Amino acid sequence: MASTVPNPDSLGSNPGRHLAHIAKVLRLRQLSAMVLARLVCTSSTLQRKNIAAAGPEKYTQEFIKKQIEEFNIGKRHLANMMGEDPETFTQEGIDRAIAYLFPSGLFEKRARPVMKHPDEIFPKQRAVQWGEDGRPFHFLFYTGKQSYYSLMHCLRFIQLLERILALPYCSMEEEYIQRFRRALEVQSKKQKIEPLQYDENEVAFSTGEGRRKTATATTIVRDNGSGNITVNGVDYLHYFPVLQDREQLMFPFQFLDRLGKHDMECKVTGGGRSAQAGAIRLATARALLSFVTENEVESMRQAGLLTPDPRVKERQKPGQEGARRKFTWNKR
Amino acid sequence: MALTRLNRIVQLSHTVSLTRPLHGSGCGLQLGAATQTEAPMESPRAVFRTSESEPASHGEQHIGQFYTIPPSQVKTIFPHGLPYRFQQQIKTFNEACLMVRKPALELIGYLKKADPTHPSVRYVLYGERGTGKSLSLCQALHHCSLQDWLILHVPDAHLWVKNCKELMASSYHRARFDQPIEASVWLKNFRVTNERFLKQIKTSQKYVWSKREFTDEGRPLGEIVDQGVTRVKNASDAVGVVLKELKAQARPGSYRLVVGVDGVNALWGRTTLRKEDRSLIDPSELTLVHNLRKMMKNDWCGGAVIATVTQTGSVFTPSSAYLPQELLGKEGFDFLDPFLPVLVPAYSEKEFESSYQYYRDRRWIQHHTGHTEEGKKELLFLSNRNPAALERLCAFL
Repeated sequence: MASTVPNPDSLGSNPGRHLAHIAKVLRLRQLSAMVLARLVCTSSTLQRKNIAAAGPEKYTQEFIKKQIEEFNIGKRHLANMMGEDPETFTQEGIDRAIAYLFPSGLFEKRARPVMKHPDEIFPKQRAVQWGEDGRPFHFLFYTGKQSYYSLMHCLRFIQLLERILALPYCSMEEEYIQRFRRALEVQSKKQKIEPLQYDENEVAFSTGEGRRKTATATTIVRDNGSGNITVNGVDYLHYFPVLQDREQLMFPFQFLDRLGKHDMECKVTGGGRSAQAGAIRLATARALLSFVTENEVESMRQAGLLTPDPRVKERQKPGQEGARRKFTWNKR
Repeated sequence: MALTRLNRIVQLSHTVSLTRPLHGSGCGLQLGAATQTEAPMESPRAVFRTSESEPASHGEQHIGQFYTIPPSQVKTIFPHGLPYRFQQQIKTFNEACLMVRKPALELIGYLKKADPTHPSVRYVLYGERGTGKSLSLCQALHHCSLQDWLILHVPDAHLWVKNCKELMASSYHRARFDQPIEASVWLKNFRVTNERFLKQIKTSQKYVWSKREFTDEGRPLGEIVDQGVTRVKNASDAVGVVLKELKAQARPGSYRLVVGVDGVNALWGRTTLRKEDRSLIDPSELTLVHNLRKMMKNDWCGGAVIATVTQTGSVFTPSSAYLPQELLGKEGFDFLDPFLPVLVPAYSEKEFESSYQYYRDRRWIQHHTGHTEEGKKELLFLSNRNPAALERLCAFL
């Protein structure tokens, strides 16, 4: 089996040999398509001369198994080298070790040396659908969507499944049915909510940070207030003379119906007028998370208060005047 | 919520009364209901309005309430004195309503207690932008005019130091500059306010305007004012003469004089006017400014000087400055030095509530959310209880 990995013998003594082994296991994404094993299922007499027409590379089961073994051994070698326990060496450890041993100055993270389980590197392939004689294994193979039609043919699928789950004694078939269910993760659980902090006067307060388009803001929202808001030491009416910015500040409080109940101090730098207002709004919303129930957190998330705005200034391209604007077109 | 329901019923009843009655009995019932609901509607109105139209009789209990100035008085006392936006509001609402607030009450209290034999006290109203300094000044002047004082009101001193189209060298003093248009306009308005006094006060010396025109001693001051209005070239000098005469004759026995200047920091700041050789003019080189500065000194008795310092019309001042020290500069501050500062703050809770009710009563807030509790809280937040900000917000609701 051909390999484009560097020849281990050229690398010398003991540590070198370990390293060489690792290097052998490493798969660089930069590898061109001209690699490795051919599919064995077709008759071996066919030699494809046109490599591009071969389609995506196909790996055999044995090849994958061998790669997995090599990976595991390599993992243990690596753990040994780094002085860690081979039994409890995780993927994070591997990543750290590789980054240490093969430092790379490349900007594209996907171009750097990577050592991962072969299942993650080699694309998953469908097991061959037909036997040696060319006859397919599944009786509905020639419909094109064999699993779909097999299910449909057997039952009126989803309604019956749900009815089954509702019946007593459903635990027998529950496992089979749950295979077809995908759990939707509740998004709001991903939000990290800081617990409330209390300062000297037993007043609850909470901090939040937000960014929008090069403006960063940090806010401290205090409870038992009367709606005083200070931005960089100045009253918000003077800092934001424009109504639109003040409306942005107001939105989190108004949404939670807490307009006159909190005091706020913010520090904001960078960006322009609108960016600073947006940054403060995000920071306020994050700070208010600690004061608020879970349902309200979910509603805030859906209202878009907790989403950082990803829009940034688009880069100017060469040959154009701006990001999109082209130079004036001249016929001659 | 009850208020909104009542509002809607009253509106419905108004529309019913306007349309022709189709069924007599049904309409009669509705009108009857309208009259019944009119009576409870009066009481919310009374909360923010007061029937006392004399500032002298306002007390602590009237703070936050609106009082109306009769249109005749508006025309005589304030031909040019009120801020532009307030004038528009008067035209829209068909009435001139001012809110009684603590700074104005304080000022009026001091004026009442002031001793006419002592040198005139100088009061300086200061505060952030849009908190109501000019209107407090107008309120104090209204009180003074009802007490029959002579009012010298300069509505905006900033107008004299910027954007002057015609600037001529003064005939009286070589180094100074005249502003004929502004001076004549001011004299006209001055005449409207103080007709009565102009006939009483007599000149104390002869004034020669040009080779053929002169005013004798002992002539009524009205003649000088007319001279200034007709002969625009001499208007600035006429202003100077008027100010000098008034100051000289303001003794405890005769009339009492109140000088109200809005934007007094213009007198000591910088100008945007340039001479012909493109060099900047100092305020002291303008006749009007020079004469007005003489008025601001406290070497005369029998009156008061009320001034406001604003950043709003001023040139070359940062927008965050609102303290007298920052706005007047060292020179101005030393000139005005023993003065009584009066801070004009933003609305308090009660005053805000009152203002909001007034706008609702005048049907100025048309948006349906504006009538709800949440709408009110929004307005409170967005304007941060600043009167001018609230007024601008409600302008497009």
